[in-house]
Amino acid sequence: MNIRFGAAAGPFMIWVVAMVLILVAWQVLVWVSGLPPYVIPPPALAFQTLFDNWPRLSVLTGQTLYETAIGYVLGALIGFLLALAMGQIRVVQRLVMPALIISQAVPIVAIAAPLVIIFGFGITPKLIIVAWIVFFPVVVNVLDGLASVDRDMLNLARLMGGGGLRTFAIVKLPACIGPLFSGLKIGATYAVTGAVIGEWTASSKQGLGTYLLTANAQMNTAGVYAAMLLLTVIGVGSFLLVFGLEVLMTPWRSRSTAPAWAQWKPSQPTS
Amino acid sequence: MPETQEPRTAAEPPGSGTPAPTKLSIEKLNVSFGSVTALSDVSLDIADGEFVCILGASGCGKSTLFNVVSGLLKATSGKIVLDGQDVSSRPGQVGYMLQKDLMLPWRTVLGNITLAASLTRGATAQDRAEAAELASRYGLGDFLNHYPHALSGGMRQRVAMMRTIAAGRQVMLLDEPFGALDAQTRLGMQQWLLQLWRDLKRTILFVTHDVDEAIYLADRIVVMTPRPGRIAEILTVDLPRPRPLEVLTTDTFVGLKRQIMQHLYH
Repeated sequence: MNIRFGAAAGPFMIWVVAMVLILVAWQVLVWVSGLPPYVIPPPALAFQTLFDNWPRLSVLTGQTLYETAIGYVLGALIGFLLALAMGQIRVVQRLVMPALIISQAVPIVAIAAPLVIIFGFGITPKLIIVAWIVFFPVVVNVLDGLASVDRDMLNLARLMGGGGLRTFAIVKLPACIGPLFSGLKIGATYAVTGAVIGEWTASSKQGLGTYLLTANAQMNTAGVYAAMLLLTVIGVGSFLLVFGLEVLMTPWRSRSTAPAWAQWKPSQPTS
Repeated sequence: MPETQEPRTAAEPPGSGTPAPTKLSIEKLNVSFGSVTALSDVSLDIADGEFVCILGASGCGKSTLFNVVSGLLKATSGKIVLDGQDVSSRPGQVGYMLQKDLMLPWRTVLGNITLAASLTRGATAQDRAEAAELASRYGLGDFLNHYPHALSGGMRQRVAMMRTIAAGRQVMLLDEPFGALDAQTRLGMQQWLLQLWRDLKRTILFVTHDVDEAIYLADRIVVMTPRPGRIAEILTVDLPRPRPLEVLTTDTFVGLKRQIMQHLYH
């Protein structure tokens, strides 16, 4: 997952072109296949349904977005802290790694049911499922980041009299930021899937996932597509948000000089 | 002046008659890894402010010697004495610089120069001002806020050198610092280093496998031979300073070179 956007062409234009292409392909598929709208609704009908039902759909989107966001932050946080602990203490890494791999090998759909049995129909199982999906790529990438620190760099830090904590904060931790965002970007697109699976299993509160099921059962295909569009927007939006954060937090990757606030100036030598 | 407080071994030779007091003593160093002897009975006195080049082919134990002197590696026997103090296996007493520039990519040039301060007590505004002054004086003034990836290899090595200087140690170990640079850049860096050394009056131990580099830079050249790593000969370089590039073709230079080559490739 190493996406680099052309600087000059403008990332915005690329997105517009990509979306237009997808909509055209969708419309062509409808025409060529000759299938009725309740099998494949044309884009216009899906958007029409979306706008007509916006008052209700917006509330459902809010609910799913809420589950996704909280679960995502939880998963990212747990993943990051776990990776730091694993990277620093080898015993922890040896003990935890097999459990982590097993946790990802179990189909997420299979985990959903027991979670509902344990935690009920509320938001908890959804958060756990989202976090479950998100934390793994974060752990793997941050561990890679920690392992990538040059041994000679650590020796140099030692020779300069660096203590464990400062060396960790100055040499090791920043080396994880790039890999952390690689993990977070993967997680950003998957997280919404977790929320939908959680809602499908059982829900006391309606979200886009529950709406999808209902619309499908009622042969409201246009409704299914409308929900799909909204879920896609959530996924793409999360990704772009994380990507933007990454650019802000890793200025050394995209710039040749420090951003203005971090620059040293002779007249006022602060911070 | 600073004779060691502990009793010195009688066999210790003085630093080839240099008037300056001894800064660093390497005393009867032996290092073995299992059955392999990496260093065998290495003894060397380095005077305060001296520039000593350690010259030898790969495998002669140059890096092992530096690892012991810096305190990263424990010698099988022997000791390292700095300013009369036994500093064996005590990292952080001398400055250290490698062929790899080891820049932290997320720190600016200034941030990399002040690394030692950040690692020990946190860099202050004064640390930054001093680092900026140092960098400006030696040709990096326009790049203080640049990230390392935006610099050339030669400039990154200059930053690494500034970082070593800013760490404030009086003795600096330079392990083939210009080994990865092209010949032109290299020559420029050598002249630059000599200027620095003259201004700052630090003691430098410089590892290289380049004979010309060693002669051009050093007061004395320690020629080492491999299997086991030991000192074959110590030569005094009788070339006046400052040394213009013309010394590279003088008879003294060529004579020294011939002498060294005989040791290295006999």
